[in-house]
Amino acid sequence: MRSRFDEQLSLLNKKMIGMGALCEEIIAFVAKALLNGDVQGAGEVMLQGREIDQMEREIEAICLKLLLQQQPVAKDLRAISAALKMITDMERIGDQAEDIAEIIPFLDGRTGAEFSDFKPMAEATCRMVTDSIEAYVKQDITLAKSVVVHDDVVDEAFGRMKEMLIKKISENNADGEYAVDLLMIAKYFERIGDHAVNIAEWVEFSVTGVHKGE
Amino acid sequence: MTKKIFRSIFTVALVVLLASIGIATSFLYGYFNNAQVKQLKAELSLVANAVNEVGIEYFENFDSNVFRFTVIDADGTVLYDTHADASRMENHGEREEIVGAFQSGTGSSARNSFTLTEKTFYEATLLENGEVLRISVSQLTVGALILDMLPAIIAIILVAAVVAFILAEAMAKKVTDPLMRLDLEHPVENNTYEELTPILTKVHKQHKQIKSQTETLRRKTDEFEQIISSMNEGLVLLDEHGMILSMNTAAQKIFAVKKDVKGSDFLLVDRTSKMSKAVWSALEGSHIEYTEQRNGNEYQFTVNPIKSEDKILGAVIFAFDITDRAFAERNRREFTANVTHELKTPLQSIIGSAELLENGLVKPEDVGRFVGNIRKEATRLVSLINDIIRLSQLDENHEPATEDVDLGEVAREVMEVLTVAAAKRNVELEMEGEGSRICGVRRYVYEIIYNLCDNAIRYNKEGGKVIIKLGQEEGHAFVSVQDTGIGIAAEHQSRIFERFYRVDKSHSKDTGGTGLGLSIVKHAVQYHNGKMTLVSEPGKGTCIKVVF
Repeated sequence: MRSRFDEQLSLLNKKMIGMGALCEEIIAFVAKALLNGDVQGAGEVMLQGREIDQMEREIEAICLKLLLQQQPVAKDLRAISAALKMITDMERIGDQAEDIAEIIPFLDGRTGAEFSDFKPMAEATCRMVTDSIEAYVKQDITLAKSVVVHDDVVDEAFGRMKEMLIKKISENNADGEYAVDLLMIAKYFERIGDHAVNIAEWVEFSVTGVHKGE
Repeated sequence: MTKKIFRSIFTVALVVLLASIGIATSFLYGYFNNAQVKQLKAELSLVANAVNEVGIEYFENFDSNVFRFTVIDADGTVLYDTHADASRMENHGEREEIVGAFQSGTGSSARNSFTLTEKTFYEATLLENGEVLRISVSQLTVGALILDMLPAIIAIILVAAVVAFILAEAMAKKVTDPLMRLDLEHPVENNTYEELTPILTKVHKQHKQIKSQTETLRRKTDEFEQIISSMNEGLVLLDEHGMILSMNTAAQKIFAVKKDVKGSDFLLVDRTSKMSKAVWSALEGSHIEYTEQRNGNEYQFTVNPIKSEDKILGAVIFAFDITDRAFAERNRREFTANVTHELKTPLQSIIGSAELLENGLVKPEDVGRFVGNIRKEATRLVSLINDIIRLSQLDENHEPATEDVDLGEVAREVMEVLTVAAAKRNVELEMEGEGSRICGVRRYVYEIIYNLCDNAIRYNKEGGKVIIKLGQEEGHAFVSVQDTGIGIAAEHQSRIFERFYRVDKSHSKDTGGTGLGLSIVKHAVQYHNGKMTLVSEPGKGTCIKVVF
């Protein structure tokens, strides 16, 4: 009975890593497509997004089955409940990557001066997602904590981006739709960063039993 | 073993005890019975004599607790009994011993009592007066006797059990001790029961066999480890659950693994969805191959299932570094693209001149110059094709011939070729300074200046200017092309020399060009070991300087 439990836990872990890897890939792909003005990649992103959704349902089923049939306690219970919370954030990351991919075609391949702020932002966001997944894989609290610190970089970049766009619009020399699209993308990146922070916090919880929000 | 020994000793003790009790009892019982009967007979004859002499009155003073005497009349009526009231007793005429006495003078019998606990022996003799005198004695039966002895027997059995237990334990210990102290590591050195020798010899032989097999196995594993660790290709062996069995040094480098990961899940080492899917499908029996960029290198990953008798035992991942191959392939592709681009340029010039001639836009006095232009470009085309042949030879380690090249002459040639294009875009083309001579490949130098000027015109503003500067700097000849065009933003500056890289993708169709120009320049400059500097500001213009 116990060995079956362990088997299911390890399956859960594998699926979590798989879903995390998908998130890393989708965000890296979207960031690359955005910075290169690649309009073609959207379809690929949708496919990956669907895969992430599928994974979320699968993992959810495993978690609920584990909770119902095995009545886990202590560390196992934390791991499972943290997994349940994490997949929500992962799924949101996938959704927002899809949202960015949807906007990219409207930019019409323009990669103007405004993009100079996107690069560090996109890179920091990708890094945060990768680090939070890495922290989960290695159950590394130090890494999880560093994700939280990185969030400030993304937040700052978002602030700069917003100010710049406001300035442009007020100077009347920016295409309004374009500016709003850029702002949306920046906001999505910022949200993805927040989700990465959430994942990192849940990693910390599953290891130490203390959630940052408490 | 001790238990078994104890059980057998105890059983033997019990059986012996019971058997001896049984035998002794039955033998003694028979003996005593005989003695009893003899004694009875002796007593009877004595008493019979006395009664014959004295008559029945003899019993009046008779006192016997042991024997019971009965006098019976010829018709069976009891006349006298020493132990009971004769008048109350029934007729004894039918009794066996009485019948015997009447018939033959003596009779005897033995009867068990109703309760079976006693046995009574009877002897009877015929008296002289025709009456019968009977003597009888009662004694315990065998059963009663044993029942009587039961407490004693139980006590003996208990004592026997205790003795058997102690004995059994001591003996079992004595027997098993040498077995317990057997040194199975060195079986033949044991000094113990010789009955064990065949087993011990066998164990010894198997020991030797196992040792040699382990040694062979270790050697083979070592060999395998040696081979895979010195391999350039990454090799990872996984078991059927995707756990790492072995990972060579090259693979550790490729997957950026620092510590020993043997026994951990491969997913922890590499979680890219491509790889995990490949591993999954390999563990389900299919063969996967794909290429992927990793830490700047290009790798080909091959994931194969390991099968044995249709059962999947695991998977093997091969990682080949195909960076060089990919690079060579890219170079070849690039070369093809460059070739077509270079072939196109003179053709366009020819077409341009021909179009002007066709539409009658050329003054009659200029016709000669235009036709000459066409001829010149056609010649260049031929020389280009010749060069391509030479280049393809160069690929087979032929170097293009270097010669003395006058930069000024080349620059003038370029200006001449580009005048039409410049005029079309309303861009002024100027040349400053004196060109010096360098040692290089004339066609390459031409390509450098041509492409730089071409770009300067192409990405210029309406009514802009392109200045070609020639001169010497620290003993090196240089060419710089300065324009007043749209400029290049800082983030693109490092990338514009890449093949087909476009700064502004949306305008690519307006300006024409294929995006190969600058990469050709880069290769040509590299060939001359030259240095290229780029100074540009968006909106103001670009200056590219090549120092040979």
